[in-house]
Amino acid sequence: MTKISIAAASAATEADLSSARLGQRFGRLDLQSQLALLAASSLKINFNEFAPDRIGICLAASAGSLSTDVNFWNGRDSAGGPSPTLFAYTLPSAAVGEIAIHFRLTGRNLCFVGDDKILLAEAADLIRRGEADGCICIFCEVVTTGCGKLISAAPIAEARAIFLKRGEGLRELRELDRDMKPLCALISQTKSAG
Amino acid sequence: MQVSTQELKSKIIESLKLQDITPEQIDDDAPLFGTGLGLDSIDALELVVLLEKDYGIVIKDIEEGRPAFRSVKTLAEFIAAKRPQ
Repeated sequence: MTKISIAAASAATEADLSSARLGQRFGRLDLQSQLALLAASSLKINFNEFAPDRIGICLAASAGSLSTDVNFWNGRDSAGGPSPTLFAYTLPSAAVGEIAIHFRLTGRNLCFVGDDKILLAEAADLIRRGEADGCICIFCEVVTTGCGKLISAAPIAEARAIFLKRGEGLRELRELDRDMKPLCALISQTKSAG
Repeated sequence: MQVSTQELKSKIIESLKLQDITPEQIDDDAPLFGTGLGLDSIDALELVVLLEKDYGIVIKDIEEGRPAFRSVKTLAEFIAAKRPQ
């Protein structure tokens, strides 16, 4: 059986964005894509060590693109109409594209709208099936204030990332490893202790 | 009515949310798209919105606007010629 391990884990919150330096175009990304890209970047994986088409990207977005959809809708009455840039991010999988562009990755990708319960398992399957050697897994929870009012949810802006790869890593992926939040915390603790 | 290239550069940076770049770093004659500032097709649409919102200029035919989007200088000249008095 193929051994799959967690090679790195990271997290990003809205507070981290102001100090992020991820290129001239980072500012035009929507909040979800910024958080996803920052979390992926914080993994500090040298993707050049892999073939670009052998790295997959799996994203779960808890509220899809709803926060950006609301922002876009709210801009409909402004002069010139809503922002065309924002329109590009009314696609829930936009963050996957931004990560792929930033790191020049061309491998398989998946996007789920919902929680992270099957994210790691799907990414691991991608590797087991031989379709990738590694996979960036991102879980975004983005609910802006305006969106939160609409769906009666508390505002949140966080992203977590885990890089899975074939072979040895910081920790072997177990069948019950599903929740990104405790897993990322555990990896951080392990790294700190090490 | 003239528009200063300095003002226009500031508006472009703000509108396109460009990071780590100042108006002084943008050459008046440098191409906006491709090389130079490296803008893309979504940025072009954002500039069309900028012209309407800030200068009252509506571009209905993209071909009409194409020469204007060559550089900051040509865009400033276009605004000066088309801006409602």
